[in-house]
Amino acid sequence: MAKKKIKVRDIAWYRSGDKGDIANIGLMAKGDKEYEILKEEVTPDRIKAHFKDWCKGDVVIYPMDNLQSIEIVMFKSLGGGATKTLRVDQTGKAMCVGLSRMELEVDESVLPTTV
Amino acid sequence: MKKVRVGAGASGWPDFKDGALDVAENGDIDYISFDHLAELTMAILQNQYAKDNTRGYIPEVVPLMKSLLPIWKKKDKHFKMCSNGGGANPSGCADAVLKLSQDLNLGGIKIGVITGDTLPLTKIDEMAAKGWKFINMDTGEDNLSQYRDRLLAAYVYIGADKIIEAYEQDADLVIGGRLSDNSLYIGNFMHPLGWKFTDEYWDQIGSGVCVGHLLECSSWSAGTCSNLWEQIKYPKGNPGFPIAEMYENGDAIVTKTETSGGLVQSLTLKEHLVYEVHDPHNYIMPDGICDLTQIKLEDIGPNKVKVTKWSDKPRGKPRPENLKLCMAYNDGFISEELTIISGPKVFKQADKAYDFVVKRLDYLGLKPKEMLWSLVGWDSLTGPTAPPRPDEEHEPPELGIRVAFKCDTKEEARACRTECGHLCWGTLGVGAGFTNPPAIRPVFALYPTLIPREEVPLELEIKEVK
Repeated sequence: MAKKKIKVRDIAWYRSGDKGDIANIGLMAKGDKEYEILKEEVTPDRIKAHFKDWCKGDVVIYPMDNLQSIEIVMFKSLGGGATKTLRVDQTGKAMCVGLSRMELEVDESVLPTTV
Repeated sequence: MKKVRVGAGASGWPDFKDGALDVAENGDIDYISFDHLAELTMAILQNQYAKDNTRGYIPEVVPLMKSLLPIWKKKDKHFKMCSNGGGANPSGCADAVLKLSQDLNLGGIKIGVITGDTLPLTKIDEMAAKGWKFINMDTGEDNLSQYRDRLLAAYVYIGADKIIEAYEQDADLVIGGRLSDNSLYIGNFMHPLGWKFTDEYWDQIGSGVCVGHLLECSSWSAGTCSNLWEQIKYPKGNPGFPIAEMYENGDAIVTKTETSGGLVQSLTLKEHLVYEVHDPHNYIMPDGICDLTQIKLEDIGPNKVKVTKWSDKPRGKPRPENLKLCMAYNDGFISEELTIISGPKVFKQADKAYDFVVKRLDYLGLKPKEMLWSLVGWDSLTGPTAPPRPDEEHEPPELGIRVAFKCDTKEEARACRTECGHLCWGTLGVGAGFTNPPAIRPVFALYPTLIPREEVPLELEIKEVK
């Protein structure tokens, strides 16, 4: 089966925020097929590898069928949290943008025609 | 079926003031709420109050009320208002609003004042002595004693109980301190719809927690900070604030006024339902726990989204026995500096500057606890996830170098900034510009933990001008 490289932003909308030192990223699938890809391909290990030393803790993912979205909780990922961090993005608003660039390798057969 | 229309009034300090005025004027609302507090605002306000007991509340409340109260007065439907702008001094805030209402000649107004959310540090010591474990919710550690001598303030995120009681006593406006953002709205649903904190209402309250979350960030669920930004219009330059029509059974319609810009669509609400909620099965608020996986969104018209049940499972669970307690402590100082460098070869110059700064820190014997070096226009927002650098031909014409330091003392933070931030531009190529750095800021770190509800007795006082 032929594989195709896509980016998370090709198949999902995104928004992120914070709570203490926890970054919280929501990915909203652009359609049914895209939601299946998100659930299958966006994994804690891949997220940790993508963010390197900006993610120092565990990553937990919660699928939300009702919103065709996945909720990603990244512990110890904001440089200490809004009040302590040295980062420009104190509240993790751009963490989703970082994740939107992550590459996924997907079977062409499962991709929607728009991607 | 009974219903109530609740508008968002503010979601921080500052927020678009005209958003609240538009909702009040054109939203046909029964209730409006104002959240003015970010995570650390309470610690700052408690510090102010300790120095001067006429301060310690959000000063913005007074000019906001100066514009809002005349609208409230002239409407046949005198909507009710709820605010956490009282901060560390709700009583002082209420006095200022009462005086304002007299100055404006508005006639009678009744204000419910809620206190008890701010805890003296002696209370923390008493509970620790009794054996209560203040586990850090972020880290899971039980190490408050390590920070005890640096603690500045302690405050509890409180629920809607006293807001409802104030409305029952005919308060027009409720002013409190660390009322949770969500509770500012839950009270507005529970009071008119007759919901109680009992088993038969957790489904409705769960939905209320969800809709409260949609309202509490004001314009953020009505099209600001949206993936759809290219298609969202602001013809007059005024973002819309969301309004929820909540029904007795917990279903709701979220909308906005026609006089405002922005957009309310299932995607703009979805953006907010996945925002800062952590475990969506258990979105825990003082008044109830929402299962956000049981919420259904449906577009039913322009700027109209219906919020209903996804399945026959309940949308809510009983409210938690413990409340969230936040303690703020001193954690050193942060300084930062931004220099803009001119091309060509911006990346090569930036790398050379980094090498210089690292060596110079060592040369001067400066030892910041932390240092962060980032390139504005490249990786300052997204760090290691930034794309690979382009070849020299495709480099941007200019780049910002931002360096930030965390130090134990203000003096050291200043030395790092001056010697190894500000002066580093001189070692670069021709044409670097530097900006006025922001003030060196003290770090108030947070220790979030839990406290049993019964340990936080709250008080309600009614103040009025007859």
